Amino acid sequence: MGLLSWLIAVPFITTLAVIFTPASQWKAVRWISAVGTGIQLALTALLTYRYWIAAAPDTTATMVAKLTKLYFVERIPWFESLGIQYFVGVDGISVSMIILTSIIIFTGTLASWNVESRTKEFFALLLLLVTGVFGVFVSFDLFLFFMFYELAVLPMYLLIGIWGTGPKEYSAMKLTLMLLVGSAFVLVGLFAMYHVSGLHTFDLQALAGASFSKDFQTWVFPLIFVGFGVLGALYPFHTWSPDGHSSAPTAVSMLHAGVLMKLGGYGALRIGVYLLPEGAKAWGLFFMGLTTINILYGSLGAVMQKDLKYFTAYSSVSHCGFVLFGVATLTVMGLKGAVLQMFSHGIMTGLFFGLIGMVYGRTHTRLIPDMGGLAKVMPWLATSFYIAGLASLGLPGLAGFVAETHVFLGGFFGNPWSNPTATGVLTILATMSIVVTAVYVLRGLATVFQGPITVAEYETLTDATLPEKIATGMLIATLVFVGVVPQYFITLIEASVMPMINRLSMGS
Amino acid sequence: MLMLPEIIVVVTAMAVLVADLFLTERLRMGVTWLSLAGLAVAAGAVFATPMNGSMFGGQFVVDAVGWWFKLFFVISGFFTVLLSMDLLHGRTTCRMRGIGSPGEYYTVLLFTISGMMYLVSARDMVLLYVSLELATIPLFALAAWRREDIRSGEAGLKYVIVGALASAFILYGLGLIYGLTGQISLDAARVLKGSPAFWFAAAMLTAGIGFKLTLVPFHLWAADVFEGAPMPITAYLSVASKGTGLAFMFQLFFRMMGGWVHDWALMIALFAAVTMTLGNCVAIVQHNIKRFMAFSAISHAGVFIMGFLGPHDYGVPAMLFYLLAYIASTLALFAGIVWYSNETGRETIRDYRGLSRTNPLMALAMMLALFSLAGIPPLSGFVGKFFLFSVAAGAGFHWLVGIAAVNSTIALYNYLRIVREMYIEPVHEDGPAAPASWSLSITTAVLTTALVLLGIIPFFYNAINGSTIAWLSAVLPH
Repeated sequence: MGLLSWLIAVPFITTLAVIFTPASQWKAVRWISAVGTGIQLALTALLTYRYWIAAAPDTTATMVAKLTKLYFVERIPWFESLGIQYFVGVDGISVSMIILTSIIIFTGTLASWNVESRTKEFFALLLLLVTGVFGVFVSFDLFLFFMFYELAVLPMYLLIGIWGTGPKEYSAMKLTLMLLVGSAFVLVGLFAMYHVSGLHTFDLQALAGASFSKDFQTWVFPLIFVGFGVLGALYPFHTWSPDGHSSAPTAVSMLHAGVLMKLGGYGALRIGVYLLPEGAKAWGLFFMGLTTINILYGSLGAVMQKDLKYFTAYSSVSHCGFVLFGVATLTVMGLKGAVLQMFSHGIMTGLFFGLIGMVYGRTHTRLIPDMGGLAKVMPWLATSFYIAGLASLGLPGLAGFVAETHVFLGGFFGNPWSNPTATGVLTILATMSIVVTAVYVLRGLATVFQGPITVAEYETLTDATLPEKIATGMLIATLVFVGVVPQYFITLIEASVMPMINRLSMGS
Repeated sequence: MLMLPEIIVVVTAMAVLVADLFLTERLRMGVTWLSLAGLAVAAGAVFATPMNGSMFGGQFVVDAVGWWFKLFFVISGFFTVLLSMDLLHGRTTCRMRGIGSPGEYYTVLLFTISGMMYLVSARDMVLLYVSLELATIPLFALAAWRREDIRSGEAGLKYVIVGALASAFILYGLGLIYGLTGQISLDAARVLKGSPAFWFAAAMLTAGIGFKLTLVPFHLWAADVFEGAPMPITAYLSVASKGTGLAFMFQLFFRMMGGWVHDWALMIALFAAVTMTLGNCVAIVQHNIKRFMAFSAISHAGVFIMGFLGPHDYGVPAMLFYLLAYIASTLALFAGIVWYSNETGRETIRDYRGLSRTNPLMALAMMLALFSLAGIPPLSGFVGKFFLFSVAAGAGFHWLVGIAAVNSTIALYNYLRIVREMYIEPVHEDGPAAPASWSLSITTAVLTTALVLLGIIPFFYNAINGSTIAWLSAVLPH
């Protein structure tokens, strides 16, 4: 079994270990999950290291050539007569997404330390979900990809339905059904590609060799983009996201907003843009327009929110809009920015939701106007919150800045296939959201943390515990690392978006 | 000996009937053992028969497709006996009045299984029709088995009337074909030109199949019969009527009208779209679990016939594989439903609330079965559906794939209603159900394992695929 299979196997084995632990030992369950996700983190570090070595640079030219191809490939025939195989591999995009997922699930486990109702089932479902996520990021066979994709979506229903708050059953059902309607679109697109290519294979790389006509690509691309876009909170299919995130328990919000929503952007990029470049060109401007609405609508929506979770959820809609916006620009800068934004938003929003859970666990309210002056009793949490907030409004030195700059530059300079005035105007409109973001982030945080303590009971609240400090510390360190020395990540990602760009420019 | 499996089933049926006369009440369990043993030996005999061969001058033929169907029929019969035994022998907490006579019950059940097995081997119209009736008529009796329950009587009566109507359609169709060819051989019809009489016959036969397979608009009997029948028979109906209908459709569409399936494709696609949409949408408002399962079965009929649309070298193995996955998932789910109804007498979806707290393993098994039926990976239901959707896409019916995929979402909503009751709602205030008996536990364990593994281990699909390739080249002219 290769490294990548282990990456799928470890969370799954941990799931099984959790399932077979007696329910009375719920404290052990937490430790098993922490150890399992810790091992996963170590494996990820090993993968990153080995990937970096395997693709070690001599000169820039060979570097690009090396990073373009897949590494650690494993191929095992599965349903051979249908051209379905177990085909896993990684490129730079996958590696960066795997790093993100490992960090989020590890910190998510720590953030769930105080789940005391049906602990065993909670962790089992959480780990099953993350098995699916890892699977998606390493799959290069569309059947396998789709299988893991749905596996990642479904446990969410029970996680929100059982451990959630508020209108949890409604939110859980809405989320599940909307996401699965999205995957229904994707499925139609996948089958169309499978049969029209005439290759009878679900192998992503082989399908890239097929010559799809322009007409065909033009009708399949929107199916794929919208289908994945639903998970990436594409306007107007984002409505599951605020409800889902605000009802979900802490770790689930972290994982969902941090990682799962990235599957949408990842799928749109990996399958949509890569396999259907002509379709992407035809629809690029349209989706840029749609995602501009996303970005503005999400940030304006966040201004109006009183509940911290709704506040962050709308901010996520806006920030995930940047991801899809970046994809839709179809430029090197834009695609790089999209992947960077997936990473930085994942970390940032994971930090946000984790912190909200920690604050809520203390104050038992999430309403912004009800809180005040909390920085005096919980300085660690307040500082972390501010760092997350500053990252989300794009402060230089933090990860968000790097990503958003790339996206905006990519959009502003435009691509040869869309009207340059239109892309320029859309980009300027999208950029405005940064101002709005500053308004809601600073205003919201100021209300919660600054000023006098409004409620007497808050005087006795405590600051972060050790697991919480480890979790937030890790996330902040990642944000700062990517913000200060982004070149590692940019190199990692740049070469892997080149094949997509090459395919785009080949046809014109 | 090609007919050995059928003979074993029939002989077992006779033996059960006779043994029932001589066994004392204390030894009555013997008939169950006898039936189980008979079906197990029959399954072995199916394995032992070759995948090609003919008897009686080509009137009785075993081929790869027939071989698989027989195996599925015997297996579903075996598990139905396991599901039924607690109820029939009065070993349940909640006694159901008027149900009993295990000997006769098993005899009738075995006869319908033998009818289904003859059906797939029949190569002339007379044998085909007689075996279809042999498969159906005992089911009328089984549906009405709860003698003191008026709903059961209603189910039986309704089933008889609708069954007779379906037979009339089928006979009309077969009669027309006979008039055109002058031969009773099924294969003779394949040389026919597309005359109005032929198309009229094809329409009649399609309607007849529609009744058996519960295609909309011929599905109206299903909900009432499912609701009235004893629970194990509801389980058997939902797999057996599907299997029989599918086998019958194979016989007529591939064998008899083999050259015309392509011209019929648009109609099949429309039937599939309407059937699955109506089945799923009506299931949304069902509260009784049996009626719910009836509409679930109807919607699955729509999924099954998608396999007839496309490239048949994909379609045939996909349909057979999905039938296997469907049998495993449905019977696994019914094992849970039968158990719950046996122990508590509760039959509405709301009654399943809190099951995950009181009986976590049973709830887990039922959830897996529900997810498999909804087509959630990596369970076998997903793999089967994926293959069938792929067949429709291969024939260019991309709109149908879209409808089917959206339908999967509606279906998931339906199945999630049960999952929600089991996992999210508080425990039922009337207390938990007693643990499952050994027979139901074994059934659940075996079938749940099967429904998980079938989709992951490629062996089963590859075996079906490998054996049907030769069948296709023999049956379908290319």
